[in-house]
Amino acid sequence: MKQYKNKVSVAVVGLVFFCLSLAAWILPSKDFSDSERRKLAVRPKLSLTAILDGSYMTDFESFTLDQFPMRDTLRSVKAFTTYYALGQLDNHGIYVKDGYAAKLEYPLDKASVSHAVDSFTRIYDQYLADKNTKLYASVIPDKGYFLAEKNGYPCMDYEMLFQILKDDMSFAEYIDITDTLDITDYYKTDTHWRQEKLIETAEVLASGMGTSLTGRYTVNTLDTPFYGVYYGQSALPLRPETIDYLTNDTLDGCIVTNHEKGTTGGLYDMEKGAGKDPYEMFLSGPVSLITIDNPNCSSDKELIIFRDSFGSSIAPLLAEGYAKITLVDIRYLRSDFLGRFIEFDDQDVLFLYSTPVLNNSETLN
Amino acid sequence: MLFSSIPFLYWFLPIVLLLYTAAPHRLKNIVLLLSSLFFYGWGEPRYVLWMLLAIVVAYLSGVLIESFKSSPGLARLVLVLSVSFDLLLLGYFKYADFIISNLNAVTGLSVPLLKISLPIGISFYTFQILSYTVDVYRGDVRAQRNILDLAAYVSLFPQLIAGPIVRYSDVEKQLKKRSHTIEKTAEGMGRFITGLGKKILIANLLGELCSSFRGLEDCSLLFFWLYAFAYSLHVYYDFSGYSDMAIGLGKIFGFDFLENFNYPFISKSITEFWRRWHISLSSWFRDYVYIPLGGSRVSAPRHLFNIFAVWMLTGFWHGAAWNFVIWGLYFALLLMIEKLWLLNYLKRNSILSHIYVILAAVLSFVIFDASNMAQACSVLRAMFGGGGYPLISTEAVYYLRSYFVVLAAAVAGATPLPKTMWNRISQHPVGGKLMVFAEPLALSALLVICTAFLVDGSFNPFLYFRF
Repeated sequence: MKQYKNKVSVAVVGLVFFCLSLAAWILPSKDFSDSERRKLAVRPKLSLTAILDGSYMTDFESFTLDQFPMRDTLRSVKAFTTYYALGQLDNHGIYVKDGYAAKLEYPLDKASVSHAVDSFTRIYDQYLADKNTKLYASVIPDKGYFLAEKNGYPCMDYEMLFQILKDDMSFAEYIDITDTLDITDYYKTDTHWRQEKLIETAEVLASGMGTSLTGRYTVNTLDTPFYGVYYGQSALPLRPETIDYLTNDTLDGCIVTNHEKGTTGGLYDMEKGAGKDPYEMFLSGPVSLITIDNPNCSSDKELIIFRDSFGSSIAPLLAEGYAKITLVDIRYLRSDFLGRFIEFDDQDVLFLYSTPVLNNSETLN
Repeated sequence: MLFSSIPFLYWFLPIVLLLYTAAPHRLKNIVLLLSSLFFYGWGEPRYVLWMLLAIVVAYLSGVLIESFKSSPGLARLVLVLSVSFDLLLLGYFKYADFIISNLNAVTGLSVPLLKISLPIGISFYTFQILSYTVDVYRGDVRAQRNILDLAAYVSLFPQLIAGPIVRYSDVEKQLKKRSHTIEKTAEGMGRFITGLGKKILIANLLGELCSSFRGLEDCSLLFFWLYAFAYSLHVYYDFSGYSDMAIGLGKIFGFDFLENFNYPFISKSITEFWRRWHISLSSWFRDYVYIPLGGSRVSAPRHLFNIFAVWMLTGFWHGAAWNFVIWGLYFALLLMIEKLWLLNYLKRNSILSHIYVILAAVLSFVIFDASNMAQACSVLRAMFGGGGYPLISTEAVYYLRSYFVVLAAAVAGATPLPKTMWNRISQHPVGGKLMVFAEPLALSALLVICTAFLVDGSFNPFLYFRF
């Protein structure tokens, strides 16, 4: 019996092992991972230098990991084992609660928040201190603000983060938008908030900045199913969502200039909406400098928003209240160079950042 | 290259297995040698030559020592030169900067550090070579006249970078003649995959828990103890998992390596603990340092000195830092106390003795993990209420909940219970029949799950490979 079992063992395990090995050797490589939204490593070029300095081995390891057959399936196997067999509460820091996937944002990195505030203060000192500008600041809470503490997950000290900005950005008036939000205002599988849920938030911001919005929009739904960033990262079979976007006559009349590419268009980039990350339909995604011109605005007020990706979906709603909105992303445009592209005068200025970016502000220039 | 990596599992290993199986008997050691050199060179292309140099010196030393059998003085001289070369090599790569930095600290000099990177596995293969030359000198083994066979023994990839420390005497005959049977292959395969599971599903996850602890600014008493237990289990599973993989691979290639771990956490004394933990290292120090110093067959003060010397060296072997030395001396102290009076007391109370061993081991691993003694003392102090930390915290409760299953599995797996149950089922008439298919399916599933974890994760280095 034992001998028979040994033969079966060698045969079965050997078959699984050699089949996986063969698949790893012969299956063609992929360029891009849709679920992870990144380029996959390719087989490195063999050279004596690369061998001697060890870079070939490191790159080969990355290649074998990225190009392993059934990678997405295996990642799901890992996620299932982590959550359901091993009973772990998160996978790579991502958890799912009440149907919403969120990332552990913990602990509060006070140095990072201070670094962000220093970046904003440098902008104020360099461009705005001597201008007749009204400055505002607001923080967008991530989903952890609503999910983490109540479900026993570690979370950063949000109140302390808000307080740091209030205390250290005395040149700006703080607008609190947390009361206008709850978890249902966010996508289930993505970090971002849902534009169609931001009417009240936009109105609070606008009112705080001394302007007003109509608050009347038509809700449109994008055809492309939306698999948010956590869909790929969690590797769990989460359901896709839809992206809704708001229009009205004023918004339809807005002209968006993408200063990176030198192109103009509307608020919603339908080409991006059909792409790998449909959220990028809002103002074409991560762009360093964009202007929104609203020819139908009754006033000549202008607004400059220093922002991250959350700003892309709320800025169109604010466009009603301003003749021109300039959106600046200082993760991609050094603040030293702003003077070359923006004429700072008496515009309103809003620093609008999300808690994850403030808590990991090393990318802010 | 690590066992628990995709390049090793699905690129290197299948090719080596095919070549080894296809090679005629007389070429099998050469296949192992070449593949071992490739394996080592993959991780350390620059340091292959040093290992080859060490092998050549060992070969020549063995041959000369045996040739000078009739001239004990010359044989001893060759032994001393050979051992000195090996220890100098190890000393230079592993301890040079430690010596320089301590010299600077004591004298106020500013001698620049050499910043030499440590060749992987140098502590393991150096000790293997030392055991070979000493055994040849003692006449316990014949000198290996085939340099390729000796090189295959020293560089054998299953145990090259992380042990166990395989004595030449244990594999001398197997180098020449070893059996390759279905039974051994099945056993080796099962052992390897089980070890892989221990490493990836328990050790790595507990390692993540420990990393989370280290990344926190605000801790609690609960989290300090959770970390200490988790780290102790992490070291055990990391190292014993790797040993299982080494022993399993050895079996597949026809070798029978000795066990390196024997459920150390069920020990009732530290004396017993070290007969069950890293057995190849403790037995090496016993046979090549402790016994030559006189062992226990000397006066009481000399006996205590012997214990002190061996454990200081044991600590030092683990790393070029004072916390490792203190770790070794900590065990020396416990062993001395046990030998003097505690052992008799421990024999009387099984439960208390278990608690004592676990506590002693857990505290020792706090010292082991610390980057310096100040940090070790800080953590130890916090574990006993110092530092003003709260009793519990949200983070501690979260991580305890999140890792509960892993910790429970780790605790259970650290006892003979799972193996005993598995054997009972296998020996049962019905269970035995079920196992015919259940066992291979379970191993296959474990292999796939481990692969899934590897693919999803990234580089996961084995804890001990910098020794």
